[in-house]
Parts: sequence; C-alpha cells; structure tokens
Amino acid sequence: MAGPKLIKERVPTPEVPVEERIKSFVEVNLGYDFVSAVKEAERCLQCNPAPCIQGCPVHINIPGFIKALRENAESPEEAVKNALRIIWDDNTLPAITGRVCPQEEQCEAPCVMGKAGEPINIGKLERFVADYARKHGIEKELLKEFTSTENGVKGKVAVVGSGPAGLTCAGELAKMGYKVTIFEALHKPGGVLVYGIPEFRLPKEILDREIAKLKELGVEIKLDHIVGKTVTLEELLEEYDAVFIGTGAGTPKLLNIPGILLDRIYTANEFLTRINLMKAYKFPEYDEPISIGKKTIVIGAGNTAMDAARSALRMGSEVTIAYRRGREDMTARIEEIKHAEEEGVKFEFFLNPVEFIGDENGKVKAVKFEKMRPLEERDAKGKRKIVGTGEYITLEADTVIIAIGLEPNKIISEEATGLKTNPDGTLVVDENLMTSIPGVFAGGDAIRGEATVILAMGDGKKAAKAIDEYIQKKRLPA
Amino acid sequence: MGYKITKKENLSAIDFFMEVEAPHIAKSWKPGQFVVLIPDEKGERVPMSVYYAKDGKIGMFIRRHGVTTLKLWHEFHVGDEILSITGPLGKPIEVKHYGNVVFAADAVCAQAEAYATLKAMKEAGNYTIAIHSFENKANTYPEEYLAKPVADEFYITTEDGSVGRKGHYLDILKELIEQDKVDIVFAGGKLGSLKKLAELTRPYGIPTIVTVRQIMVDGTGMCGSCRVLYDGEIKFACRDGPMMDAHKIDWDDAIKRNARFAEQEKLAREIYLAKLREKGVI
Repeated sequence: MAGPKLIKERVPTPEVPVEERIKSFVEVNLGYDFVSAVKEAERCLQCNPAPCIQGCPVHINIPGFIKALRENAESPEEAVKNALRIIWDDNTLPAITGRVCPQEEQCEAPCVMGKAGEPINIGKLERFVADYARKHGIEKELLKEFTSTENGVKGKVAVVGSGPAGLTCAGELAKMGYKVTIFEALHKPGGVLVYGIPEFRLPKEILDREIAKLKELGVEIKLDHIVGKTVTLEELLEEYDAVFIGTGAGTPKLLNIPGILLDRIYTANEFLTRINLMKAYKFPEYDEPISIGKKTIVIGAGNTAMDAARSALRMGSEVTIAYRRGREDMTARIEEIKHAEEEGVKFEFFLNPVEFIGDENGKVKAVKFEKMRPLEERDAKGKRKIVGTGEYITLEADTVIIAIGLEPNKIISEEATGLKTNPDGTLVVDENLMTSIPGVFAGGDAIRGEATVILAMGDGKKAAKAIDEYIQKKRLPA
Repeated sequence: MGYKITKKENLSAIDFFMEVEAPHIAKSWKPGQFVVLIPDEKGERVPMSVYYAKDGKIGMFIRRHGVTTLKLWHEFHVGDEILSITGPLGKPIEVKHYGNVVFAADAVCAQAEAYATLKAMKEAGNYTIAIHSFENKANTYPEEYLAKPVADEFYITTEDGSVGRKGHYLDILKELIEQDKVDIVFAGGKLGSLKKLAELTRPYGIPTIVTVRQIMVDGTGMCGSCRVLYDGEIKFACRDGPMMDAHKIDWDDAIKRNARFAEQEKLAREIYLAKLREKGVI
C-alpha cells in the first residue's frame, strides 16, 4: 500500500508586491490557479475521521471537496462544480470565508499534515473553488440545483441584519423553501463585511456577488430598514412565522480617558466605515470625507486593528499599532499580522493608553501610555495578566484609531421589551438559539459579543435549522 | 431602488424644502427623530431633520451648505430619485403635559422640527410658544412653513430687525422667563446659541431639551462619530439623542467636534462649485 508522497510545504499563493499594494486597496492575495490548486489539493491525506471538519464551525466536508477538486484534474469545470456542490451543502458563502476565516485556528489547526510540515491551505482552496466557479459560470449553473422549487411555501422568515449570520441564515432557509426577507439598516447589504473589512482583504465585487447569489435563491433584502425603529419586532412577528436577529456587535467600545473627544481620534468603526462603505479614500471624488495625518497610532491588536492600520498606511500615514499586551496575545489572523508587518506597520507592545494629548486647535498630537508588565498568572481567556509599571511614555500621533472591541447595539433590545439580554448587552438564547420571545432566534455577535465571521455563519446555519423545526412544529395540528 | 422626490421648494436665500417618498419611515416617525439620506452612489450619509412625515412621504428642510445639500438643490428635481433614506433614527421627544412649552429655532434643523413638535405638544394640552429666529429677511421662511397654526404665542425675530422683532430667540425667551411663562424649552439650531440657551435657563432650573447636532455616519450608534460628553459620560447624539438635556452637554467640546471636517468640507464645496460654474449651472 503506497500512500501519497508527503509534500511538507504548501504550494504558495502569489501576492501583490508590497511596494505596489500599499498604494491602493487592491486585494493582496491573488489566490491559486487551477494547476496550483490541484497540486495543493494533492497534499491532502484524506483522513477519516477528518479533524479539519471538526475544526470548522460549520463542518464543511473539507476532505470531500478537496478530493472532488483533484479527482477530476483533467476537467477543471467538472472538478470545481463537484467541489463547490460539497462546500455549498454547508456554507453558501465560500468566497468570503475562504478569505476572512482564521483558518490557522480552525480547520487548519488540527490538520494532520501540519504535524509533518505545513497544514493544507484549506482557506485558499475554498476561495479558489468559489472564485473559479464564479468566473466560469459554474456557480450560476449550480445555483439552479440549490434553488428550492417550493420557495415561500414552507413559511415566511424575517432576518434582521445582513452580516455573516443573517446572510447565512437567509441562504439556508431559502434553500429549504422559505420566503426570506432581510432587513438591513444601512444602504448596502453585508454588515461588517461591507463596512468593516477593507477591499484589500475582501473585494466589494466578491461580496456583491455572494449577496446577488442569495437574491437568486429568492431572498429579498430591504435596505434602509432599522428593526426597532423603522419597523418593530412585534410588527415583524405579525407578518412572519419567525424572526432571526443577526445584528452583530454594532457599538464601539471607547477608552474612558482624558482627550477622547479630540479631533482625529476615531473609533475603528467610524474610520473603516468612512473608508470601506463610503469610499472616503477616494475623497473628493466621493463625498464622504476623512481626515488623516502623518503619524497614526492604532490601539488594539485584533483583525479590526490590522485593517485600520493597513488602511491608514494606504492613505499615506506612518502607522504604529500599540497593544497593552504582548505579541503572543494578539488576536488578529497570522496572515493579517504578517501583511501589516510587510507593509511597514510598526508594533509596540505592553503599552496601555492613559491620555490623549491635544494641540491648541483641539486635534490630537500625542498619546501617553503606561508601560505594562506581564505576570505569570493567566486570565479566563488564557492570556497572561498584565500590571502597570508606573512608568510612562508619550508617542507622537496626529491620528488615533481605537480598535479595542465592540459591544452589541441595543436598538432592538431597547424597543422590544420582552427580549431578554445579558449584563453585557448580548441577547439571551437557549440551546436552539431561540431568544426569550418565542419564534425569535438570534446568532452571531448579537449573542456572542465579539467573535468571527465563521462563528456567526455557524449560528446562522444552526438557527435556520431550528427555525425550520419551530415552524414545522407550529404547523402541526395540536 | 430609490426614493422619489415629490416636492421641492425654495424657503429662503439659504434653505429649501424637499419631500421624498419614504413610506417605511413615514409610518413610524415621531417628533424628535431624524433621518439619514444619501443622494447618489458617490454621496455621503447626511443626517436630516424632519418637518413632517405623512401619507408615505417625508418633508425636510435642507440648508445649501455642503456638497450633498448643494447637489440636492442643483441636480435633484421633482420626479428624480435619491439613493437612500433611512429612519426614523434617534429617540422621540417625550410628549406629555408640561404647561407652557417653548420651541426655539435659529437654524434649519429646528425650523423644521418646530411645527410637528408644537402640534403634538398642543394636542397634549400644553400652552405652546414658537420662536423662529433668522439672520435677516432674505433668510426668513414663508409663514406657511412656520409653527404659527399650532402656537398659542408666535414670534419671529431677525438679527437686523428686517422681519418681526429685532433680536434672537434668546432675547424673547429671557422676557418670557421673567414673566414666569416658561415650563420647558425645546430648541435647536446653532450650537453656539444652544450653549447660551443652556446658561440662560440653568439658573431658573427650566428643563431645556435641544438638538445636539454632531457629525454622523451610520446614525444608529455603530460608528461613534457623534459622541458627546453628557453629564461626564460619553453618549452618542444619534442613538441617545439627538434631543438631549442642554444642561448636561459639554458645549465647548460639542462645538469643536462638529467642526472636525471643516477643511475637507470647504475643499469639496469649492471643487463642486467650480464644476457647477463650468457647466454654467451657477
């Protein structure tokens, strides 16, 4: 029995050279072509049971799609179609997850190949399948297979929010034969995918296509509708059989320190919304302005901090990321940290901001930090605890972006008084993701506080199943 | 998808009226709330105060000030569609019996809000007093757009005395307070006036609820752009306001933050005006 030859190194994916990419918002990673994708797919050991499936929050049949891809290497179209069919069974938005998932912590973490060498590049393969299928019309063909012929007959569901949780929930329900309407507060669908994630990581064209796909599945999207204001939850419950709340964690946390109101101190949400949703980087061709100086300090160390830092860099600023903990505690994806470093973002660790210092015009000119020291003791999240040293340092900055996290937006919970929340503002849900109001389900950051795109999608999928069961049960005669 | 403009009229040398089809908003809007509109693909999200919401339509007063509002005036006409209008946003004001209710306005947002607010207040059994202040005759609105029909007492003031009484709403209000005729003040408009208003009513302990105009992006509490220092805490004008207790606002900070993009706005406005001149529009 001759097993496959172990190839320890990944087939690389090309990237736009640093000197070029820092001048624009073009996507950094160029992805695989068919030949290199198949070569990478051939490294897969096809484990059974497959630990990668367990590592994926939506349990995509990863060995299955990889096998389909390489099995039909002489017919790229057939291979990709088969692979996409397998992915879509679990995840209708692979062009997004292939780009933004923290694969190194999920599917790729337990990959057996990772023990011998580099784990299979699952994210990039997933992305390849989605991109190739779109470019070659395969996606359109396959959509027919997934479009339910009984659209609308099983019932009507309202989905609140068009971010990853809402889009997934809507897609799954539409495939099952429900008539789904998404209510979105902004003028473009996508939630955090459109306002939060820059084009160099997730091109708008890709996102638009994924959303168009949902529309082809029969999902209706009502933009400019704020549930809790434009329409109440109660009104939705009168018209729909069930409601899914996927409103995310829409409120930025702020630092409660002196100088927080100074000019050019942005929350990451404001900064990124101006840039990503409103295209302020093209001001004045686009009307939304942005004001950014020569030296930017980004506070935080998650993906949002990397996105903000790399955006500021592309707008011509020198950028430093200041984090109160150490390098090993940064929560951003490894690829984003690597890209930020390559592009020239500087990192400062163990600095905790204590004051923003302004100039005579009310603009920020520096940030005062206390130097922190790590302890051996760890907190609930497994991170080393830190203490102040009593020593201070002041760094010059004419722009500051605060990316220290988010908490749930309370618009719905304030309006719908029966909707129970936890002390941190997240919605209370049971094991089926049903809230305290029967027929109202929730998922994603609205129940998690802050998590990843894929975990939100996992919730959307789980809720869709629970909603289906709930509606079918309700339909049964007593 | 868009929202059709159903009426447009000039109000004054600087402001105009526009009505847009927006049934999703019209059915749920209440006095105190605002909307966010975007004219076109390249446009910005601009918060707008609402004059009325009825029959599936939203009436707004708009100042020809920045690129967006100049665009709406010069390029958008009855029958055209704007890209987006979202709302209602913010918290409605509390309509109940207060006694003597004043609504004071010295710029576009409050001029728009006066009628609907006082109408609701009158229906709630209050004695209503409207004060509309303008700089001069050229900036004064036609009377049918003012709160006269719903005001038990009605004043217009201009700074130069060219229409109504010479002076500002602060002058009239001072007299009314001295006559012990004011139980609560609602106001909006220029932030500098609101700061003075807060100082005027504070010693008398008269509740003073005003529109805290701040630069916004999404309008739902997501971006944090419109943060203000309120009673020592950070609040968002869009979500916690836009009408807030004037005595609790740090006005110096609010005034500074509202001028954050002055340079960019000026640049964009100059570029846009040059374009209009080139096309012969102005």
